[in-house]
Amino acid sequence: MGNILEIKNLVVNFYTYEGVVKALNDVSFSVDHGSTFGLVGESGCGKSVTARAIMRIIQEPGRIESGQVILYPETVDGNGSVDLLKQSEAYMEDLRGNQISMIFQEPNAALNPIMSIGDQVAESFLFHQKQILCETILSELSDGQHRPSKAVLMCLKTIYGKAADDGDSFFFKLLGSVPFLRNWDRRLKSVAIRRAVSLIGKLGIPQPERIVNLYPHNLSGGMKQRIVIAIGLASNPLLLIADEATSNLDVTIQAQILELLKILKKDGISSILLITHDLGVVAETCDRVGVMYAGNICEIADVREVFEAPLHPYTRALLKSVPKINQDDRLASIPGNVPNLVNPPSGCRFHPRCMAALPICRHEAPALVNAHGRHLVACHNSSVA
Amino acid sequence: MATFIVRRLLLMGLVLFGVSVLMFCILLTFSPERRAAAFVTSPQQARDIPKIIIQYGLDQPVYIQYYRWVKEISAGNFGYSTVAVSPVSEAFMRYLPITIEMNLFSTPLIIIIGIWLGTQAGIHKDKAIDQVTRIFAIIGWSLPTFLFALLLLMIFYGLFKLFPPGVLSNSVEMFIMNNPEQFIRYTGMYVVDGILNGRLDISLDALRHLVLPVVTQVTVVIAILVRVMRSSMIEEMSKDYIITARAKGADRKTTCFKHARKNALLPAVTVAGWLVALSIEGSVTVEVIFNRPGMGQWLVQSATQLDIPVILSVCMFLGLIYVTTNLIIDVLYAYIDPRIQLS
Ligand SMILES: Nc1ncnc2c1ncn2[C@@H]1O[C@H](COP(=O)(O)OP(=O)(O)O)[C@@H](O)[C@H]1O
Ligand code: SF4
Ligand SMILES: [Mg+2]
Repeated sequence: MGNILEIKNLVVNFYTYEGVVKALNDVSFSVDHGSTFGLVGESGCGKSVTARAIMRIIQEPGRIESGQVILYPETVDGNGSVDLLKQSEAYMEDLRGNQISMIFQEPNAALNPIMSIGDQVAESFLFHQKQILCETILSELSDGQHRPSKAVLMCLKTIYGKAADDGDSFFFKLLGSVPFLRNWDRRLKSVAIRRAVSLIGKLGIPQPERIVNLYPHNLSGGMKQRIVIAIGLASNPLLLIADEATSNLDVTIQAQILELLKILKKDGISSILLITHDLGVVAETCDRVGVMYAGNICEIADVREVFEAPLHPYTRALLKSVPKINQDDRLASIPGNVPNLVNPPSGCRFHPRCMAALPICRHEAPALVNAHGRHLVACHNSSVA
Repeated sequence: MATFIVRRLLLMGLVLFGVSVLMFCILLTFSPERRAAAFVTSPQQARDIPKIIIQYGLDQPVYIQYYRWVKEISAGNFGYSTVAVSPVSEAFMRYLPITIEMNLFSTPLIIIIGIWLGTQAGIHKDKAIDQVTRIFAIIGWSLPTFLFALLLLMIFYGLFKLFPPGVLSNSVEMFIMNNPEQFIRYTGMYVVDGILNGRLDISLDALRHLVLPVVTQVTVVIAILVRVMRSSMIEEMSKDYIITARAKGADRKTTCFKHARKNALLPAVTVAGWLVALSIEGSVTVEVIFNRPGMGQWLVQSATQLDIPVILSVCMFLGLIYVTTNLIIDVLYAYIDPRIQLS
């Protein structure tokens, strides 16, 4: 199985007034084609920053300092790789929401409050599928019932034909800045809305024709999250990044959304990068897991390995802290606090809280090495089980 | 929507009633003699003051005087202005266009420039344009209107002889006075009338006199709008839905203008409306300094000479403008923000 995404030595800093937040410190992992990769860790450990770094949408004052984000878009055997960090912004705009898309933690904040649902979903189509929309219009113009006059038809055909060839050309930029004429794309919008309706319908939202005219505040959290998913799925991405997509929803809705993601993965999206702090979700949905702590990857392994034979002390502590239903003893929590990333602990960032720390851990950061099979771990003392 | 309008109209009536009662009570703290003296134009007439008091009922209880005033106003009789030497309603029609004309220029400029500058400053936070608008805003906001206006006058009239005070040049004014049939005053606004009469030179002359007052009005008020728009823009740009838009593949222009700016406008609309009202009231200072015979100047003269009918009517008018602006803001707000339902 080849990779779809490979992240190598990613370093991200935030230049804040309090100092430089070293949010990602040499993060590497890869996501297999057709798999679900789970990224787990306490909140603040850098999961969202990783996701945003992949798409290069880190907000001010963050900066990607070094590393590689390699996408293998072409085939399963990994021909044709692109380092996303080296691409132009225009390339990234084309890629975002198209090859890689993302769904978010907080459905209440993830949608524009004053834009209709239909418009927000339709935007995805307008950004990435102009050609297909134009072709739809052309075919409708040819065999539509309400035919405009011949001259108008000719005109429209030329415009949409041209747009289907190259919708981003100078001609359309010019057209877009002239009042009245800029309404040429109104037809495009209505076709895009029609596609939005059918997409929303497919995601199990009742009355999609009505929903597209509503605004986010009219919908429940679960519904909003479905809309966010619809936006993510609009262009059949190769990779879907779900950043805590279910964390803020109640348990039943959470289960529904996870189920939806499973179904979608079966017949559509190739791979999912699932970010969560919930190990239960990981156990249920992921093939492989990466555990993060304070901007570092501690351990990467197949899901069963992580749960049955964890190697890293942090992973073990994390597993102990998960409440189990048929278990009445207290929740074991990890002693100590999540470190401040402006002045992270030297050496292994986990050492102040680690039960298995060795003297070397204080001044030397452990490298991520292959322990056995495809089980990677970054710890000086990982043999202690 | 209809119930909303009805309710707002009722509220408007209530506010105006409040304003009138307040103004009336303040004015009645002057003794009947002082108020009667306003009608006196020569020393000989001073003897008639007791007669005037009785004639106009100036010593009667407040509510009777108020009732009489309301009755007169409802009949369309706003009284006589001793300052303007004509009935208030007539003087009103003469002064109002001057003030409206000035504000017709400054209001759109405040809104357009304020929102544009604020947006740019927000997008380019801490860059050159942000710093420049910050300095500009501090100057505009910290200098009192009269001082700023005087400075402008000193530089652009005193030094460069570019933009004179007044409404029209003397020669143009003489021409209009002597040839009323050649220059018909359709609107009372010289720029507009110049165009309607086919006299672009007169329009230009009027425009030249408008430059400094309008610049003053815009500069002293715009700072707040720029700052509000800027911080609102910065806040919106950091919100999650902007990340969603970018993750969708939106380019910078789309995220800034289609997503962030429309949201950022919401707080700015409130401030803009309030500033426009403030700026219209600020016409008082501007008109006095630039010697423009509009409502503001008239109000100041009436206040110093205790021309009570004028003070009452003009204050009512300003109150009306204030509540109307508020109404417009609310409607606009509901238009932009689907979360707000007018009912
Ligand atoms: N805009 C920002 N400014 C400063 N620091 C940030 C910013 N965004 C994230 N960080 C820092 O990056 C670290 C990782 O954050 P994040 O990836 O959001 O955590 P999580 O794993 O909960 O998603 C945090 O310690 C946080 O302090
Ligand atoms: S490297 Fe040392 S401190 Fe870090 S997790 Fe391993 S044992 Fe603990
Ligand atoms: Mg997060």
